[in-house]
Amino acid sequence: MNILFLGTSSGAGKTTVTALYCRHLSKKGVKTAPFKASNLSLNSFVTKEGHEIGMGQAFQAWASGTEPSGDMNPILLKPSGNGTIQLVVNGEAVDDISGCRPADRSLMMTEAYGAFDRLSERYEAVVCEGSGSPAELNLMDRDIANTGLMRERGVPAILVGDIERGGVFAALYGTWFLMPEDIRPLLKGFIINRFRGDPSILGEAIGRISELTGMRFVGIVPYMELKFPEEDSMSDTGGRLEGDTMIDAFLANLDSLIEAAGISGFDIGAIDDISSSRGHLYGPDYGIVGKQCVHRNGPLFRHE
Amino acid sequence: MDNITKKVAEEIEKGWIGPDKSCSYHPCHFEGQDCTFCFCPFYPCLDDDFGRNTVSKKGADIWECTFCLFIHRPEVGKFVMSEFRRLGITDPKDPAIRAVFENAKRRFHTKGRALMILGATSDAGKSITVAAICRILHNRGYLVAPFKSQNMSLNSKVTRKGHEIAMIQTIQSKAAGLKNPDQHMNPILLKPKGDMISQVMVEGESYGDYNVEDYYGKFVPGQGIDIVKRNVDFLKGRYDFVVMEGAGSPAEINIYDRDIANIGAAKIAGAPCILVVNVEWGGAFAYAVGTVKLMPEEDRGRIKGIILNNIRGDISKLSSGARELERILGIPVMGLIPHISMELPLEDSEALRGMKSRGNGSMTIAVIKLPRIANFTDLDPLYMEDTTVRFVTDAEELEDSDAIIIPGTKNTIDDLIWLKDKGLDRAIIGKRGKIPILGICGGYQMMGRRLEDPNGIEGSDPGSFEGLGLFDNITRWGEYKKKVVQDEGTLLHTGEPITGYEIHMGMSEVNEEPLFNIKRFSGDEKEGSVREGDMLFGTYLHGILEKPAFRRFFLSHVKGGKAVLSVSEPKDYDDLIEENIRKLSSEFESNMDVDRLIRIMEGEP
Repeated sequence: MNILFLGTSSGAGKTTVTALYCRHLSKKGVKTAPFKASNLSLNSFVTKEGHEIGMGQAFQAWASGTEPSGDMNPILLKPSGNGTIQLVVNGEAVDDISGCRPADRSLMMTEAYGAFDRLSERYEAVVCEGSGSPAELNLMDRDIANTGLMRERGVPAILVGDIERGGVFAALYGTWFLMPEDIRPLLKGFIINRFRGDPSILGEAIGRISELTGMRFVGIVPYMELKFPEEDSMSDTGGRLEGDTMIDAFLANLDSLIEAAGISGFDIGAIDDISSSRGHLYGPDYGIVGKQCVHRNGPLFRHE
Repeated sequence: MDNITKKVAEEIEKGWIGPDKSCSYHPCHFEGQDCTFCFCPFYPCLDDDFGRNTVSKKGADIWECTFCLFIHRPEVGKFVMSEFRRLGITDPKDPAIRAVFENAKRRFHTKGRALMILGATSDAGKSITVAAICRILHNRGYLVAPFKSQNMSLNSKVTRKGHEIAMIQTIQSKAAGLKNPDQHMNPILLKPKGDMISQVMVEGESYGDYNVEDYYGKFVPGQGIDIVKRNVDFLKGRYDFVVMEGAGSPAEINIYDRDIANIGAAKIAGAPCILVVNVEWGGAFAYAVGTVKLMPEEDRGRIKGIILNNIRGDISKLSSGARELERILGIPVMGLIPHISMELPLEDSEALRGMKSRGNGSMTIAVIKLPRIANFTDLDPLYMEDTTVRFVTDAEELEDSDAIIIPGTKNTIDDLIWLKDKGLDRAIIGKRGKIPILGICGGYQMMGRRLEDPNGIEGSDPGSFEGLGLFDNITRWGEYKKKVVQDEGTLLHTGEPITGYEIHMGMSEVNEEPLFNIKRFSGDEKEGSVREGDMLFGTYLHGILEKPAFRRFFLSHVKGGKAVLSVSEPKDYDDLIEENIRKLSSEFESNMDVDRLIRIMEGEP
């Protein structure tokens, strides 16, 4: 079973939701691995085999109850200043790329989807995270981690929209609208992230988005302040985390987020349905109930 | 009246003078104004397009035309004077003047046009786009006013007439070259009080407290629409262009039919709309498409252009996407605007949320981050100096600070109780005499000996509360009374000029050496408290750090502060804002199709 979490923008909450679902599956006893085909980040983690991957995938691996591995993030792009980017493929630095020296896209695709296939063989579930927005008109034809993965491997996807900035309905509808028609049916559901206040205010608008797109409403993730080391302090570790306490704290926080989301009506079972049954379009879902959410202060972690 | 007649006679004799840069008040209305008729020769014109009948404070019927700029339009001043010469008019009571007025009105008075700047999200860059367009149009000789029907902000500023409007509209009005922003430019201001309740200000004055439900359910469909209409009409009657700013996203389909800030306001004003999308976070094309497509079909046609804003790196990377977007929506992308780095406080909403510190200078200024902190743009001028501003909520964080500022608050009593609960009161008192401590407005009230609120006007519970006791002052909220006023004066220690504005309930009995001399029509007043030996400073004046006089006086008390300050020139915050507006407008001018924008404003289909 596979699922891909796409964001309507950077920082929409893909990384968090991916970790959340990894944790959910591993608690159900499903052998789970996270996957992000390509990642633009300075914060990397070195696996036991000595492979460099994005920090987010390392945390998602721990949320899955498994050891981080190079396949979980086969392509890592590390900005090294002056418009140059270090290209890390399968955990090893292979090249420096820049505007006048673009990467070999077909090689990257082969490597990325090869890693995905290996994970699919070894694990029962591969929980994928997209990169940036999947609807960048100027980049879509070169996409690897979003529409590319959907098209090449038929992975069903769920859109994560960030309500904090406003315009979340436009972002969800616009992203769906701009999806190429051949893969649009794979967009199965949507999530509204960082919500605070009384969810009943959203009622009709959510129904309208479902009606317009056929995407199923999975639920809202409440705005939460989670005690979790900030990005800076993570990089202080030089990319390698010693000891288990930070991971334990992270997992505890993830559990409290899952609980809070559940209280707000987040239907994690809907994701199970989507990830295990392909090609089925769901009707609208008005299932939001909920209580007042607490005023909180930051995303679980932010990574792009 | 006789006095005015005499002045007008002198003006007619003197002839056309254009802008009078020798006048100490110049420009009293707008940059480029004509000063030939400082006193209007048509007064009282009794024309409803220019003024209204009202009753003066003394009870007399008078013709009021404070906001009329007609006679100061360069083309009008010149025309009227040349007509007076041509017709040989020298007597201000000459009945032929009426015909000149009618003639001038026919030639030069047209109803202004409005333009609405919408954003796909909060922080899309609406505010800076409005500021840039105001300046670009002003530079082309138009009379321009900014407008935001409904603004939610805790950062307000006081107009010359004593009305409270959002800070950002005062900056936009400066961009438009206007000297005096007024209450019409932001007729509805929502000041969040917590617990989903906001104080609603209408035309600069407090109107009442509303929760979200009542605001959208009762206020908006009731008086809300009328308020927007009468104010935007007022501005259209006096300016060539009214550049309106939306609020949040216009495609929040859950409140679409109750919106008077975006498409709703544009409809009321008959304004074409431009949609601004922030590219920085990604997903800009989806946001643009979704925003337009989610609108009802009859409203989509209002969107006449799209601006992609805040592009880092090579702008041309986006041009293929922009063309594709034009094809999908049938709406032109009128501007690709690069990221512009600025020191303007232009993100007014809740930009402080989650912020721990700002700046990277040698002097660490601890600002107590009160839960109901208000007017925190007061702190912005500190970034012009070699400071790090640290927002503090715990006593330990004060330890290695070089100075403390207790800022303004929406509720002094409740925040004083919070301060005590956090143990910050003892921590601040422990710093007395060791590092400089400044209280502004609510923070100043807290520094006093007692705060008496017998009727529970300020706090949730009535009572008498012990202050920090740093000053021997007592603040009382005896009756529901609010002081809202602009201040101008001098710092008593140096005689240098200062400016500021007051917005507060509660009046203080001050038993300390004052800080400032404030000039008023009714005579001079003393304001503030200072104990220089103990490095204690307190004032009601917001914006007090903008002019260098007090900002530098305060920072010079920081250990080693004098040496730090000596390596840089004292700078006026106003000048910095002007520099930023220029930078902003020139970037927009080079990256946006301004001629097309003007054609759109003039009604191009």
